[in-house]
Amino acid sequence: MSASKPQTVDYKNKTALIVDDFPNMRSAFRMALAAFGLTKVDMAANAAEAIQRVKNTAYDIIICDYNLGDSRDGQQILEEMRHLGLIGLETAFLMVTAESVYERVVAAAELAPDDYLIKPFNADVMRSRLDGILAKKEAFADIYLHFDHGEMEAALAGCDALMQNAPKYRIDAMRFKGEILIAMGRPDEARELYDEVIRMRAVPWARLGLAKAQHMRKKEAEAETILVELVEQYPGLVPAYDLLADVQIAQEKYQEAQATLQRGVETSAKSILRQRRLGEVSYRNGDLDAAKTAFDAAIQKGKYSVFHNPNDFANLARVHIDQGQTGEALKVLQDHRKLLQESDEGKLVASVMAGLIHTRSGNKAEAERHMKEALRLRESGTVSKPELLLDLAEGCLKAGLAEDASALIGEVARNAHDNQQLLDKAKAIYHEAGRPDEAHSVITQATEQVVNLSKEGALLSQRGDMVNATKALFRAAREAPRNPRVLMNAAWAAMRLVEQDPGESQYLAQVRMLLDDVALLAPDHPRLGGLQTMLRSVESALGIKSTASQRLKG
Amino acid sequence: MEYDDLYAALLHEMKNNLALLTMSLDNIPACGDEHHDRQLAAARMLGQKTADRLTQTLLIYKSTKGDIVLSAVDAHSPEDFVHELAQQTRSFNRKLEVTAQVEADVPAIWFFDRNMLEMALLNAIHNSVNYARQRVEIRAGLRDGMLAISIRDDSGGYPAHIMAAVTEGKPLQSQGTGLGLRFARLIAEAHRNDGRAGELRLYNEDGAVFEIRVP
Repeated sequence: MSASKPQTVDYKNKTALIVDDFPNMRSAFRMALAAFGLTKVDMAANAAEAIQRVKNTAYDIIICDYNLGDSRDGQQILEEMRHLGLIGLETAFLMVTAESVYERVVAAAELAPDDYLIKPFNADVMRSRLDGILAKKEAFADIYLHFDHGEMEAALAGCDALMQNAPKYRIDAMRFKGEILIAMGRPDEARELYDEVIRMRAVPWARLGLAKAQHMRKKEAEAETILVELVEQYPGLVPAYDLLADVQIAQEKYQEAQATLQRGVETSAKSILRQRRLGEVSYRNGDLDAAKTAFDAAIQKGKYSVFHNPNDFANLARVHIDQGQTGEALKVLQDHRKLLQESDEGKLVASVMAGLIHTRSGNKAEAERHMKEALRLRESGTVSKPELLLDLAEGCLKAGLAEDASALIGEVARNAHDNQQLLDKAKAIYHEAGRPDEAHSVITQATEQVVNLSKEGALLSQRGDMVNATKALFRAAREAPRNPRVLMNAAWAAMRLVEQDPGESQYLAQVRMLLDDVALLAPDHPRLGGLQTMLRSVESALGIKSTASQRLKG
Repeated sequence: MEYDDLYAALLHEMKNNLALLTMSLDNIPACGDEHHDRQLAAARMLGQKTADRLTQTLLIYKSTKGDIVLSAVDAHSPEDFVHELAQQTRSFNRKLEVTAQVEADVPAIWFFDRNMLEMALLNAIHNSVNYARQRVEIRAGLRDGMLAISIRDDSGGYPAHIMAAVTEGKPLQSQGTGLGLRFARLIAEAHRNDGRAGELRLYNEDGAVFEIRVP
């Protein structure tokens, strides 16, 4: 029998942030921490304060209450801090919850904190939990460092070593290794790893990881089976709904995807991204009432989130317009006028939607005025979603600005040769305007070159001619600078080329720009993480200090 | 809001306030005066015990509205776990001799919901702190292929009728010790693996032994 006491941590030099909305709870935490020597403590009462604090100070420890009244909750704070890169893997994050929501909070976590503590608790338990987290962070210190420097092979090797030599951290190491493999786009190995965990115990995160790996391997049916069982057994497991919707969309089961997201939203209504996706899928399914509810919710949630986006207003206004409620649509724009005027993208949304409203209600002069304003904003370089550009094109066409309309539709088509939904909508605009012939010529002309260059690039890279493949795919990327798939293909080819011939490393700066663009256009694209990791590996192999961003979910 | 939910919300608020009160007591240092320190320790213990009881009551109430699903089952170190429990036990009574023991065949990790299991074991710890003469031991062992966490003391042991009630799976009374046992059994049985469910066992072995086994 062993009776050794685990070694204790010295807290004198540690810094901590306490996030709780009750002042007396904050001081109770502070006193509890002081009891074991931790006196460098800051406090925050809500999400905004907490985020401001971490922007200014790097804390070793964050103790955060889950329920913060009207503010964003603890889980949202954790996700925003990680999303914005404000805290690293080495920061200990301890989530405090009431027993009544504990299981729900755990199940809903897309990104897990280091530990959970149930209120009420005493200072000894808090200390022993912090001891545990900090000891684990120490065991993982080298792995985190490798990860931060983009040395992924070394990080993976570090995980393997821990799995071998530190039985206590075996599962933690496997979990982190799985996340790295998924982020690197190596689903075959991830799948084996998660299978191994599941053989020990079918914990929800491992089954979720396995489903993710299967989805990346395009084994959608397998992934769907796992996820359906998972949400059956753990109805509170919110991330499973999001992934299940991805898997269903990949199989073009849009009705099912809508139902899945609807269940996800009912389980946890807080995520603005989930609301937005529900709105998009519902809109695609022609379920305008559902789309309206979801887009409206996205706007409400977005008011206090870093994930807010002016395009949410366009989405909601568009549904109203489609339902013939132009007054309601106008109200959306008026109610959020201030927010929309804050950014050029917002102004563009306001002009296009106002123009479209007037177009539909036959107000020709007004419509034209707004459309011209929108075109002016576009000329000054304001970016926007393709859906909005098509709205603008529709307005222009009806206002007699045919050339502008064709240019816009051409631009959308060039960037969306592989998106049938957008192309169909583009065609519909011409048809509705009674000019079906133009649809064909504008769209074909616009997509022809990207299609050909992409084919050529794919063929060349299959033959191993990375020099010319890269050239063709970079030309395609210049043609379609807003098509994430085209950009990623170009980035991939260039990196393969540099791997083969380090003399071509001049491409890496452009690769970085391509991937940064993709991160803006399609931050959740399943291929993006793998390519970012690939860039970091290629750079670190050449001794270049990486500047590529990497986001790790988990 | 139904009456039951209203009561639940009230209990919840009381529990939180009590927890704050207890944390404040935690911060009054012992002053060396026997009388003062003993009273302080007793007050803290009672506050914590009551807060824990309220928490359990709320969870039992929740379980009547649907099964308890343990979504937080994950890999934890049994060794760290028994040390944490021992540390808690010490904080309730600094005079007791509290030891943590891990039997040699216990693996480095086991899968369980640590927060829930800890809550289930807290009753036994409160009990042992009350009845132990000098010693309390927190032990991790392997029994019948399950991880067995036990709280052992050198008291006179459990009365026969309580052990019988637990062994025979009889309904347990809904107050005092009975409530704690009900909760412990609920949490033990919510741990499932390979078609097996966890168990609560009470027996006497040089004192009272409260044991939860998780598969």
